[in-house]
Amino acid sequence: MPKIAEYVKLETRRTLRDPGFVIFSAGMPVLMYLLFTNLGGAGQVDGWKAMSMVGMAAYGALGAAMSVGTGIAEDRTLGWLRQLRITPMSPRQVVVGRALTGSVTVLPAILSVLVAGGLVNGVRLDLWQWAALTLLLWAGATPFTLLGIGNGYRLTAQATGVVNVATLMGLAVVGGLWFPIDAFPDWLRSVSRFTPANRFADLGWSVTHGAAPGLTTVAVVLGWLGIFGSYAVVSYRRAGRTA
Amino acid sequence: MSALAADGMRHRDICHRRVRTCASAGALRPLHSVIRMTQTQTTGSESAAVSFAGAAKAFGAVRAVDGIDLGIRRGETVALLGRNGAGKSTAISLMLGLNDPDAGRVRIFGRAPGQAVAAGLVGAMLQDGRPIPRVTVRELVTFVARTYPRPLPVAEALELAGLTEPADRRGDRLSGGQVQRLRFAVALAGNPELIVLDEPTAALDVEARHAFWKSMRAYASRGNTVLFSTHYLEEADSNADRIVVVDHGRIVADGSGERIKRSVGSSLVAFDLAGGDGEGLGLLPGVVSVEIRGDRARLRTADSDATVVALAGLGAIRGLEVTPATLEDAFLALTDSRDRAKETM
Repeated sequence: MPKIAEYVKLETRRTLRDPGFVIFSAGMPVLMYLLFTNLGGAGQVDGWKAMSMVGMAAYGALGAAMSVGTGIAEDRTLGWLRQLRITPMSPRQVVVGRALTGSVTVLPAILSVLVAGGLVNGVRLDLWQWAALTLLLWAGATPFTLLGIGNGYRLTAQATGVVNVATLMGLAVVGGLWFPIDAFPDWLRSVSRFTPANRFADLGWSVTHGAAPGLTTVAVVLGWLGIFGSYAVVSYRRAGRTA
Repeated sequence: MSALAADGMRHRDICHRRVRTCASAGALRPLHSVIRMTQTQTTGSESAAVSFAGAAKAFGAVRAVDGIDLGIRRGETVALLGRNGAGKSTAISLMLGLNDPDAGRVRIFGRAPGQAVAAGLVGAMLQDGRPIPRVTVRELVTFVARTYPRPLPVAEALELAGLTEPADRRGDRLSGGQVQRLRFAVALAGNPELIVLDEPTAALDVEARHAFWKSMRAYASRGNTVLFSTHYLEEADSNADRIVVVDHGRIVADGSGERIKRSVGSSLVAFDLAGGDGEGLGLLPGVVSVEIRGDRARLRTADSDATVVALAGLGAIRGLEVTPATLEDAFLALTDSRDRAKETM
């Protein structure tokens, strides 16, 4: 276990020192949140400031979680994964360490948007709501970390970057993280309700409404956790044979 | 390196023309006895740091490692010497458990390589590894050290590798020589009993190379077992107790630099045949191989005095020249012998 802790420490440092990571996972969501909620009277719409806060925090967390995969692909290119294989750390510990790193590096993304919501946009929630919101967004990002890990073990560094960004944008738009899905056509709205990003954000939206997340929401999120988890395991095993 | 390869080509060209003289079995005889000797030394010894028994590994149709028997005792510093593609890196990947042998067995301190690695007995410097970005030298070495059960103090590891000065610089902002030293520090940080270095000085300038070997010898002198691969004979000779020459996935010679020189003849005796056919030259005292280029005979001999006296007795001393064989000569003679054997088959 201490070995994994050391690894998480190393990887967390490396990730948080990446200006690109900080800008795209924390800076961008905050900027977009403030723009989307303050331009053209958008802020007057009831509840939009809180709703967009959750959406943008989820968007930031999603991007941060998936970028774990970019690091893995980079490590394969550098030969660092191979080097790790000849330390006493087992490949399984490396993968678990990476996933745990993801759970640390999503926090700045989530917290920065929530802080902007509370301090700049004056979103008012009970203390338990803030706590539950943070916790749910933090835990709910896990499927996306696994998706990123799956990409990282399967694709080249360049391809991982492209695929991650495309996935992030697609999931964010279709999932209604940027704009409410109420504006979507009916069919898209029904599809959206089963996409991972939408249900992920819904964990947070239900809290801002003072309710516990719905059963279907939790079930859909767990379903995606299973799918992305299997994808990560399969990719990792395949890479283990070749890397 | 390319010069060496080119030399090898030239040498073989001569052999194509002169199969008769090149396929001298004499050059190989002493080597077999060397190999047999090391086998008896290591067979059944539990304490062997590294042991290969009939290990083979093929990638597609390429038999990268083609039946290797090798034993390395604890505390030895061994050079794995061979040309590019000779099978050195594959042998190393078997040793580290990065690949499994198709046949035969590889053991590190009596355990399967993967287990030895998991137990922290092995450290390695692989080819082409680059440090991960945005992490300092000290942070990286500290991390690696802490994955091992009994690591070196980080300051000591950095000092041994000559990295005290750039310790707080990021890994992606180091010079080529410093990167190499960082990879060395990563290999030794855990204080492993066996350290494996795959072409550690490739792409280093002379000065950096010199500094590197100094560090390596300092680590070896602490009683650790060191195995490094190189295609520079000079490096192998001046930094290893023992040289294992690998070619086409097999061991073609095994012994000290001295011994390898001796086994292919320590001197070259050349003279003009002056119309003679060179018959029976291989039977003269000390001669291990005979090569005839045009009208000139070149004898590799283990005892140049005896050979010259015998030649004098035959009156074959026109243009006589005696030169000490360089290690480079020895290397070429060794690694070419298999090609020749194939050609005569």
